[in-house]
Amino acid sequence: MTADVQTQKAQVLGVKGLVKRYGGRTVVDDVSFHIQAGETYGLLGPNGAGKTTIISMVAGLIPAESGAIELAGSAMTPANTRAKGNIGLVPQELAIYPDLTATENLLFFGRLQGLRGQGLKDRIAEVLNLIGLADRAGEQTKKFSGGMKRRLNIGIGLLHRPTLLILDEPTVGVDPQSRNSILESVEGLATEGMAVLYTTHYMEEAERLCDRIAIIDEGRIQAEGTRGQLVELTGGADRIDLHGSGNTSAAAAALRLLPGVQQVDGGASGLILTVHNGPGLLAPIVAAAGRAGMTLTSVEIVRPDLESVFLHLTGRALRD
Amino acid sequence: MVGNDLRQRVRDKSVFIFSLLVPLALMAVLNLSFGGFDTESVELKPAVVVASSEDSGQLGGALLDAVGSLPVMDVTVRRVAAADVSRETKDTGADLGVILPANFTAAVTSGQAVTVQVIEGDSAGLETNVLISVVDGLLEQFTAGTVTAEAGGIAGLPHEALGGLAQQAAAGIPALTLSEGKASAEQLSLKGTLVAGQTGLFLLFTVGFGVLGLLAEREEGTLARLQSTPVAPGTIITAKALVGFILGVVATTILLTAGSALFGVSFGSPAAVALLVLAVGAAATSLTFIVARLVRTAEQANIVQSILAMLLGIAGGAFFPIEASGFLATLMDLNPIAAFIRGLGITAGGGGVAEVAVPVTIMLGFAAAATLASRLVPDRGVRA
Repeated sequence: MTADVQTQKAQVLGVKGLVKRYGGRTVVDDVSFHIQAGETYGLLGPNGAGKTTIISMVAGLIPAESGAIELAGSAMTPANTRAKGNIGLVPQELAIYPDLTATENLLFFGRLQGLRGQGLKDRIAEVLNLIGLADRAGEQTKKFSGGMKRRLNIGIGLLHRPTLLILDEPTVGVDPQSRNSILESVEGLATEGMAVLYTTHYMEEAERLCDRIAIIDEGRIQAEGTRGQLVELTGGADRIDLHGSGNTSAAAAALRLLPGVQQVDGGASGLILTVHNGPGLLAPIVAAAGRAGMTLTSVEIVRPDLESVFLHLTGRALRD
Repeated sequence: MVGNDLRQRVRDKSVFIFSLLVPLALMAVLNLSFGGFDTESVELKPAVVVASSEDSGQLGGALLDAVGSLPVMDVTVRRVAAADVSRETKDTGADLGVILPANFTAAVTSGQAVTVQVIEGDSAGLETNVLISVVDGLLEQFTAGTVTAEAGGIAGLPHEALGGLAQQAAAGIPALTLSEGKASAEQLSLKGTLVAGQTGLFLLFTVGFGVLGLLAEREEGTLARLQSTPVAPGTIITAKALVGFILGVVATTILLTAGSALFGVSFGSPAAVALLVLAVGAAATSLTFIVARLVRTAEQANIVQSILAMLLGIAGGAFFPIEASGFLATLMDLNPIAAFIRGLGITAGGGGVAEVAVPVTIMLGFAAAATLASRLVPDRGVRA
């Protein structure tokens, strides 16, 4: 009983049976999950899977068709102004004003969050240091690089120390160096006790940042758990990507007959195989594909990861 | 939120271009194009008429005497033989030649057809047109006198009375004296109408920087961020509307002031003009509520707002006066731009706050109706 109460207290966000339809099309279908304080929770799925619609409902931007969202103990709806104070939203777009300086952007959104006076100024200085923009604070943001704008975008979301920080694809269109900087910033947030809801279609980001991950496709959560729990869903199988041309249909049929080959799917430029003991099966697989008329240009063995999980669950690659 | 938006608009500078520079430039161009027709700037030059009158009666001489004594222009009538009128007119550069036939008086008084020949000079201009109009008008008066006398004869009036009536008609003395007045809108000169009209037209564009800016913010993601903050429902759209209203009022005030100074126009009572500016600002802002709900993107908003601005602006008389009758006239009277121009006409003619009550009521009524209508339109737009 005591343990239950402690779990309840630690829960920041609870989502139950969330549904959203647009014009008769169900874009979010019976989605449920919860996030605890200090936890980073990932929504991993391809573009159009329904991730942004889910966070729009969680952030109180749009109403849910049905279902319930409980944020820090109160029901989150578009009309619940007080509950919104617990949220820091970092939209996918660069939600900053280009004609204002970094400091002015932070001042404006800080005031909307109810921060005032010296406390606001101190917090702005703190956030500018955190996102590495202290030396550019007085410049209009239209002069910033894409990475700097992205960092400011996150800084605004962090400014009022929200209970739940929602990051919607925060690294889209960012160079590798800036991406790493952003990911490092996010990694630090959980240690401060902040709950983070992170959406991405980059498997590597989800694996690196998230304590638990929901794999989402076509508006539904296909599976949820830690990285290890999700990989177990594949049965620990390896993935072998065969790139090439020729008679791929015949090759697929031949490969399905090989012992140890669990699944064969068509990919963008060849075949994707789910197998037990990939390194051991590589030789017979290459030989069988060649005999069936497929000309191989490259072969890749991928140990179980979230990409494999997504493929296992949906029959499609994450980036299809 | 309002201060933040205004700061951005000032830095962005587009509001200066579209709300101040473009309308001022357009006013200048239109003034150059149409300014020559402004009655205030017309000055008739002295004119010369070469005329022949072989008329044995008195009317021919009376007609030429009347032409020679026009109060609006200095006219010299040089009398020559009928055969020389055409040549003299050309050789001397006269403005007009007039040939009255020998039987002019007899024909006019007997009601017979008579032809008066006029010859335009080689340098014919506005003065020649005026002189032809004068001759034409005098001939009509003479004819009216004859008709009156004939009608009296048929009615059996005594000879003395007939003569008096004919004289009165020919002299152009009307039986009823009409006091010439001006409708309020007509108190504005052409320049004044251009300044008022262009100001009203561009106000409709300027207010678009407010509410319609929300559509751009939606595309840029800042609207989502604003909506996720703990501000009361309606705050965002109210702030944006206030921004549009403030920009509209400031731009309108500057345009009227600058227009007055640059084109020599006076709009009268500052208090009454201020009231008109506030009212038209409210009316224009209310229109953006409807547009914001109808469209999905900032681009669509700009197109729809531009169409509405041109429609209301042209129908309101922003470029030239529009006249209509019946239901259409009533509809056009409800146009806030027309009401604004009409209101400025009243103030330019000396009217004060009380006199502009009708146009102000029309504009505020429009604002209320448009705001109400926007609540009834299904929201396809910003959902703020």
